[in-house]
Amino acid sequence: MINLNLKRLVTVLWISFSILSFSHANDLIPGKKQENPIALTHAKIFTVSGEIIDGGTLVFNNGKISALGDKSVAIPQNAEVFNLEGKHVYPGIIAAYSQLGLVEVGAVRATRDFAETGTYNPNARADIAYNPDSDITPTVRSNGITSALIAPIGGRISGISSLLNLDAWNREDATILKNAGMHLNWPGMTIIKASWMKDPPKKQQEKINKNLKEIEDFFKEAKVYAIARKTNPDIKIDIRFEAMVPIIERKIPLIIAANEYKQIDAAVDFCKRHNLKMILLSGMDAWKLTGLLKENNIPVILRQTHTLPFREDEDYDLGFKHPALLRAAGVKFCIAKTSSASWDIRNIPFYAGTAVAHGLSKADALKAITLWPAEIFGVNDKIGSLEVGKNATLIVSSGDILDMQTSNVEMMFIDGRKVDIDDKQKRMYRKYQSRK
Amino acid sequence: MLQKTLMFFISFSLLFGQTTPQLGLSSHKPELTVYINGKIIVSPASSKTANTMIVQGNKIMAVGENLKPPKGAEIIDVKGSSIYPAFIEPYARYGLPEPKKTKRERKPKPSIDRIGSIHWNAAVKPQKNAVDDFKPDAKKAKEWRDAGFAFIQTSNLDGIFQGTSAVVSLGDGLPNKLIIKNDGAQFMSFSKGSSGQDYPTSLMGSIALIRQTFYDTRWYKKAWAAFKNDPSQKRPEQNISLLTLQNIIDKKQPVIFGVNNYLDIFRAAKVAKEFDLDFIYKSGSDIYKRLGDLKKLNPTLIIPLNFPQAPYVAFADFDADVSLAQLKEWDIAPENGARLAKAGITFAFTSNGLKKKTAFLKNIRQAINRGLDKKTALAALTTIPAKIAGISNLAGTLEKGKLASFIISNKNIFETGAHIQTMVIEGKRFEINQPPDQDIRGDWLAKSTFMEHNLKLSISGKTSSPKAEAKIDSFKLDLKNFSIRGNKISFNIKNDTLGFDKLVRFTGRFEGDDLYGQVVLADGKNLPWSAKRENPFKEKKDKKKNDKKAVLSSFPVTLPDKAYGRTAPPARPKTVAITNATIWTADKKGTLQKTDIIFKNGKVSQIGNGLSIPKNALKIDGTGLHITPGIIDEHSHIAISRGVNEGSQAVTAEVRIGDVLNPDNIHIYRQLAGGVTTSQLLHGSANPIGGQAQVIKLKWGTNADGLKYRNAPPTIKFALGENVKQSNWGDNYNKRYPQTRMGVREIIWDTFQRARDYEKEMRAYEALSSSKKKNKIPPRRDLELDAVLEILNSKRFVHCHSYVQSEILMLMRLAEEFDFRIATFTHILEGYKVAKEMAVHGAMASTFGDWWNYKFEVYEAIPYNTTLMANAGVVSSVNSDDAEMGRRLNHEAAKAIKYGGLSKEEAIKLVTINPAKQLKIDRFTGSLEVGKEADFVIWSDDPLSVYARVLQTWIEGRKYFDVQEDKILRNKIKEQRTALIQKVLASDGKNGVPDGKGATKKFYDEDYKCDDSVDYMEGAE
Repeated sequence: MINLNLKRLVTVLWISFSILSFSHANDLIPGKKQENPIALTHAKIFTVSGEIIDGGTLVFNNGKISALGDKSVAIPQNAEVFNLEGKHVYPGIIAAYSQLGLVEVGAVRATRDFAETGTYNPNARADIAYNPDSDITPTVRSNGITSALIAPIGGRISGISSLLNLDAWNREDATILKNAGMHLNWPGMTIIKASWMKDPPKKQQEKINKNLKEIEDFFKEAKVYAIARKTNPDIKIDIRFEAMVPIIERKIPLIIAANEYKQIDAAVDFCKRHNLKMILLSGMDAWKLTGLLKENNIPVILRQTHTLPFREDEDYDLGFKHPALLRAAGVKFCIAKTSSASWDIRNIPFYAGTAVAHGLSKADALKAITLWPAEIFGVNDKIGSLEVGKNATLIVSSGDILDMQTSNVEMMFIDGRKVDIDDKQKRMYRKYQSRK
Repeated sequence: MLQKTLMFFISFSLLFGQTTPQLGLSSHKPELTVYINGKIIVSPASSKTANTMIVQGNKIMAVGENLKPPKGAEIIDVKGSSIYPAFIEPYARYGLPEPKKTKRERKPKPSIDRIGSIHWNAAVKPQKNAVDDFKPDAKKAKEWRDAGFAFIQTSNLDGIFQGTSAVVSLGDGLPNKLIIKNDGAQFMSFSKGSSGQDYPTSLMGSIALIRQTFYDTRWYKKAWAAFKNDPSQKRPEQNISLLTLQNIIDKKQPVIFGVNNYLDIFRAAKVAKEFDLDFIYKSGSDIYKRLGDLKKLNPTLIIPLNFPQAPYVAFADFDADVSLAQLKEWDIAPENGARLAKAGITFAFTSNGLKKKTAFLKNIRQAINRGLDKKTALAALTTIPAKIAGISNLAGTLEKGKLASFIISNKNIFETGAHIQTMVIEGKRFEINQPPDQDIRGDWLAKSTFMEHNLKLSISGKTSSPKAEAKIDSFKLDLKNFSIRGNKISFNIKNDTLGFDKLVRFTGRFEGDDLYGQVVLADGKNLPWSAKRENPFKEKKDKKKNDKKAVLSSFPVTLPDKAYGRTAPPARPKTVAITNATIWTADKKGTLQKTDIIFKNGKVSQIGNGLSIPKNALKIDGTGLHITPGIIDEHSHIAISRGVNEGSQAVTAEVRIGDVLNPDNIHIYRQLAGGVTTSQLLHGSANPIGGQAQVIKLKWGTNADGLKYRNAPPTIKFALGENVKQSNWGDNYNKRYPQTRMGVREIIWDTFQRARDYEKEMRAYEALSSSKKKNKIPPRRDLELDAVLEILNSKRFVHCHSYVQSEILMLMRLAEEFDFRIATFTHILEGYKVAKEMAVHGAMASTFGDWWNYKFEVYEAIPYNTTLMANAGVVSSVNSDDAEMGRRLNHEAAKAIKYGGLSKEEAIKLVTINPAKQLKIDRFTGSLEVGKEADFVIWSDDPLSVYARVLQTWIEGRKYFDVQEDKILRNKIKEQRTALIQKVLASDGKNGVPDGKGATKKFYDEDYKCDDSVDYMEGAE
């Protein structure tokens, strides 16, 4: 009896301790709404959509880019002017996939909010759980990432992602695009022989078949439901199928995570048959199916270039050159971090840099982390490049942003708001620098 | 003389069942048989021919040419048949119960309940005896006999030490009679089989366990001897397992070691050598790989005939999952026998691994078709396995005095179409595939009074299952229910047009060319009929089958035998000169622009401007290129087989990564492509004191020994924090000591103290005179404490996985207490907080470029860590812990420039000279200084830039990677894949469709991070 009580007490203590110690939050204040025009002058401006402007001027007002050009661009009188001689200006980098703000410490369960239990969770919305005060976010901003797709993971259908900006008081003012995509994890289709695989081939195949059939059935039923709801609004709402309606109606893309040839081939076929708008996520074998992807207008949120080939016979640099291969074949893509993507999405610019060492042009590498992800999500009217009328979401670096040797983000603006680019790690750095 | 032998045999035969009471009437069958007119192959080696064999009871009494049968003998004429010694299976589990798999729960099981004085580990059961559990299995025995076997060496094939085998006969009778040898070999493997105990979870743990068990066996003998001399001492423990193993150590019992992977043979052989033993190995089908190394070892082998299934390549989208290595193994494995024979390695065949015994002879024929000569094949089925099983005096040949166990086949047994007619096992005949007494095939003309015309009956097909067709003139009749039983024939005929409107039933018997019998008409009327054979059956020559030539394997074996393998080791040019390059010396000289460097005999020879280049030098124009020392990775887990963690116990200093190197791991090549020349392969971080590490040079193509870098002193992995506390292992793992950082200190302290005490005891014992030693129980040699002692005596250096400042401080103070220094803290993400203390202690640091936040103990990790530590005077490096990151450590080094502004000169040192210092190999490599080893990388660009590519990687003056050669290799891989896929598609063998109708993807690669903790030793080998 005593034992039991003691156990309970320990549990209670443990829980409260966990809550106390894991409610991490950064104390940086989100940037204030832009009040006066801001002019960036003498900068090397990477517009991405157009030419690089050397010694250029960029003016923004009310959160929008109002003027852009060489030094002849007029600067409004009340403008705050930053002379950026020798500096680079880029559109903010977009992390096209992440679990940022959904997890603080991967190994600590209490801080994990990215995977709902069960297999089919189309109704789960990642932005609901988004913590804008995560300590990770400022470290990501520090490398020039201004926006990120916040996506759920796990199960067959993980739920819905949203595209958020990374400096906000809450998810609502962070939202760039609500309900950006529905996430489906295509089942593995390969029978595996390995010491850790306990299922015999036959059983594995049965599982594969069952998983594939389940997806078919789920979408068929969702379609029936969508039609039924349209014709008779009085029928009872099914929370899962209701979430599927915009997918069935092609209003939201289905973002399918698949790597292997067989999976990609099956996923594309599936989307064609069900008339769904597909985006391929990760796509390690995409280079083998460029024809299929191009023909069906399927863009790829490509796995990080820092990836090992997953077959022994493949080229050691397959991951590095994958973007160049897709580019040459005319497949639309962006470069992302697609595995365990939270703190390490800050390395996205270097994934793009690595692609340059392996055949992609620098201009395309920049596009692959700015304009192309914006186009894939259909927000290129707002972000992704520096153009008059677009949001003033941009960064200033003292050097080439794609090379870790020179990447050094000095300023960041999101919708014209000046963002505090300090972070916890810089603070710890300062603290311990002072220890003599 | 003959009479004397005869008497002996008779009395011998009476021995069987001699202790069993006679129930009912006794039986006395005549026991003298003579086989005449056979083609008798007496033994694989002998060229003598014989046609007569006299068998008395279960033994051969005489073999020879035209021997005169003794009186009263049964004479069996086997004219046209061949007689071979019966096959012997050296490696099987037959007549023994299937090991019961202990159900493994997802919670720790460190110990077992012991019944009897057995070994502490459930996988060590040498005391098991096959004779104790042997029960003949009539159904299985028939399957074996049908395949030509008479004897089986049987063992339970379960666990690491599996017990003593028995050799049994496949005849009939009581186990007492069938067991022909009860003290066979000790069987072993690396797999713990049905053991439900945790230890070992890794291959290196298994090897360590074997090693320790042999040392314990030696100790046990000495301990008991000493105790007998002086019983006043504390009595040593009783241990039946160690007692049994004395036979092995004393070389009184052979060991048969079963593996499935050829590398395991070299691993087991190392242990055998340590104890001056020679094992016999049961191999896998990949035995053809690295035959040169195997020849040096020159073991006796037992090789399987389960050739790999043809990979599934029928669908284009599946073939990518099939590797070149798999395709080649399929292509080459049937040549194993021929290749071993050519190399002069002795081997026996086993049917182990074959799903169906019927495939055995077929696969032997395939092996012969692929170049194995028939004599060697026969030896591998008879004399060699007889020797392995220790029954050469009883079986394997058909010499006088041997057990009368032989195969009677219709023709040369290795030829297509041969079949076994009779198996004789210890004199008893088992008919296998008895042809009918007479051949009924041919065209018969039948007549009967009820038929107006003669009926033509054509019988064709195989003698054992003939087919028939009936015609009247050219009209084909409907013939049903045709059957032959002995010399009796029956069939029914129906044909409306000819008046047989109902079924007419024929039965008859045949003799020679005559056939006569009764026919029953539809109305029940019974009439006689008869027939005469007009033409005997003519066998159509199956041209296709006989003319089929052997298709040999298509491509040479490479080192390793897979994609990117080499045909020969890279040459070492005497002199290599690179001119006009940017040279990053990672030394005091810094980075030199437009400079020349000359390497001679694998060493750096000169660095400077306008050097005179020897004429014969291999010249490389370095204009625009950058040269750095080879990258060194302080923390890697590549090229390790079956488990990086022996995480089952808190202290496992006895396990050695060096025991389980995998020279065939593709990551070696991939890391070379990233400029890595040297890696420290560390044990994982599952326990406070982990296993011994191994520093390797990435000499792709060499064998496990060739990888080992001899200049590196021994090191060991320690770990602190969440992993060793099992914080993230799930709720079932909260019992093992320690569970807190407090306990981590205590267990390390306790182990250190144990080692000191052990040292004292050992020294005290060693100091004794040899006569006193005889009376004194020696301290038991403990491999775990041996390694710990080396640490305390600064002969083995600690690389400690650590994160938070408290634990870093703790370990330094603990080391100071024991008067040694921690060499390197690895990962050490909070090193920046105690950098000052580390510098004072003398500890070095190897960290991640920018990792953080994946678990709580790295929540205060900062990417500025490297710079802060370096600036505090700590020798710092960045490491990978990851096969992917390992090939771009230059990126990770460059991050120290971004985070904290480390200079480029210092940044390049993070992956060259600094890790060299940490591994204490900086006298030999790590920088480009005159006299150091020629380990260098040629880069396309500033190596700290994201845009740089590795063009070439050199180790000790040999070029192990070249981006241009890589292109050639890619084309070669493509060509070979294409050719072999075509070959698979064209082969008549089944297209390898596994049960699941899809390709199986075989995972060859073992990618680990330090917290990987799968149990790799479960299940049977």
